[in-house]
Amino acid sequence: MIVLKNVTKVFEQNQNNQVIALDNINLQFNEGELIILKGVSGSGKSTILSLIAALSKPTSGEVIVDSKRISKLPDNFASIYRRDNIGFIFQKYNLIPTLSVKDNIALPQIPSNPDEQELQKSLSNVMKRFKISHKKDTIVKNLSGGEQQRVAIARAHINNPKIIIADEPTANLDEKLSLHFIDMLKELKNSNKTIIVATHDPLFFNLDFVDRFVEIHNGKIN
Amino acid sequence: MIKNKLNLYLLQYAINSILRQKAKNLFIGIILMLLVSILTSVFLISNSIKYELSLTVDALPQIIVQKIKAGRVCDIDANVVDGILEFNGVTDAITRVWGYYYFENAKVNFTVVGIEQFEKQYKDNFENIVKKFDFDTLEANSSMLVGAGIKKIMTQNYYNNYFNFVKTDGSFKKVYIGGVFDSSTQLESNDIIILSKDDAREIFGMDEDKATDIVVKVANPKEIKIITQKITSKYPDVRVITNEDLKLSYENIFNYKSGVFLAIFSISLFTFFMIVYDKMSGLSSEEKKEIGILKAVGWTIDDVLKNKFYESFIVSFIAYLVGVILAFGFVYILQAPLLRDIFEGYSQLRTTFELPFVFDFQTLFLVFFLSVPIYISATIIPSWKIATLETDEIIR
Repeated sequence: MIVLKNVTKVFEQNQNNQVIALDNINLQFNEGELIILKGVSGSGKSTILSLIAALSKPTSGEVIVDSKRISKLPDNFASIYRRDNIGFIFQKYNLIPTLSVKDNIALPQIPSNPDEQELQKSLSNVMKRFKISHKKDTIVKNLSGGEQQRVAIARAHINNPKIIIADEPTANLDEKLSLHFIDMLKELKNSNKTIIVATHDPLFFNLDFVDRFVEIHNGKIN
Repeated sequence: MIKNKLNLYLLQYAINSILRQKAKNLFIGIILMLLVSILTSVFLISNSIKYELSLTVDALPQIIVQKIKAGRVCDIDANVVDGILEFNGVTDAITRVWGYYYFENAKVNFTVVGIEQFEKQYKDNFENIVKKFDFDTLEANSSMLVGAGIKKIMTQNYYNNYFNFVKTDGSFKKVYIGGVFDSSTQLESNDIIILSKDDAREIFGMDEDKATDIVVKVANPKEIKIITQKITSKYPDVRVITNEDLKLSYENIFNYKSGVFLAIFSISLFTFFMIVYDKMSGLSSEEKKEIGILKAVGWTIDDVLKNKFYESFIVSFIAYLVGVILAFGFVYILQAPLLRDIFEGYSQLRTTFELPFVFDFQTLFLVFFLSVPIYISATIIPSWKIATLETDEIIR
């Protein structure tokens, strides 16, 4: 279970350009739920995702995942938490453009120093699952947007995390590829993972397999 | 156990990172290699010269007595020897007949030394030479012994069996090459000609009762100063040079050379620190983003820094190794062209002078510590600065 308790996030605090991204938010996500965070750009959706993934810390309040206060974790422990629990699909994919598909997908496994055979097996499974095996040695910058997204999804799954987070996953895709992503989302839903998607794409708003919609507006929950 | 300690994937990732930025790393590697090579060359040459000079200085006579006339050195009366031998503490006083002979064709100076086989020699090397070669035959045939360098120069100028010296009166003195000798140092074996004192006097137009200078041996080195004073008191027209004076003059020349080296050394270090400063001043946006991505997918700060350590160590250590190997080749195989020019004009060191091989671990360690750890720090510190920021801030 993921709990956000009285969470406030302020950027550039005490400066002229101070921005209150989240204002005393309380939220709860249950295990296995698929939640869509709705809201316009700048509403605070991505900040919520970033806090759950321990990519940043709240200015005040707490983020609790499976009874652990991850908002209090030191940086190195936050990284380990992310590696073991979170699969993050970024809006701009955040792949390393000069690495191959296979090497990008393997990145979250490297620090664990896995057995070579296990790593190859995981890579093979995840690439097959997200239909990118045929491009495994291609350098990522030479892939199309849809292919890059599949690589990003595969990378998010390589460590078999409990929580999948997707930030504006269809922002850089045409409608056909966006629908393809929604198909993948449906498939992921069946794997009993907690999935949180932040989007303002209307394609997501009428999906029958979504458990909950949460609307954010100016850093507050509507 | 080893598997837990050494993460080969991280090492592989580091190698991959180097190859992904081939041009940049190759450029930095070449610059670093050149700097290491220049620094090592400077140190190797410096060590070789120091070694050579220490041998030369050790072989210097304790006291040399020269006759001064009108402020210039001239031939000294051989009978001064008898007067010097009267001083307590003096174990020996030997006349020397020697001088420089300029060989126009090769534009080099030969050092011509006359020795008498039955006299006590002022150098151990000469004692060995007298024992090794048949001096009766050499004197009878008007022959000479030449150093290896001289033999080479003479052969190049078609003097295979003999050499025609131009005497001071303009006539020629034909002297046969009776043998080629070696001595303990390169300096001597290369530019010295040894013949009888009579032949040497004839070539230099010197009277029979004269000598170039007198070498004095003293039993107790602490008495050198007192004996020097006694000689100058008895013979006010002479100049007395002690081995300490000669040592100082050699050191002065060497210090001058060291100054030139210091300049090259400083320029190399300056260039290196410019690169370091440039690296320290920050990472490119791509490098920052990559660190952010790695952290976002679960790499810890330690993992990021280990990767950067491997990357910078591989680049700098390869550059160091190649630089050191190049320096050894440059100094000891090619005999340090360009840098060696600095020595030319130094009277003891000829163009045929070969730098003796001196392997000094301290030099290698010094160059290592001046290059590899500094480069690694210059890579790791900016990466650490970025890696310790909030991950969201790096990738945003």
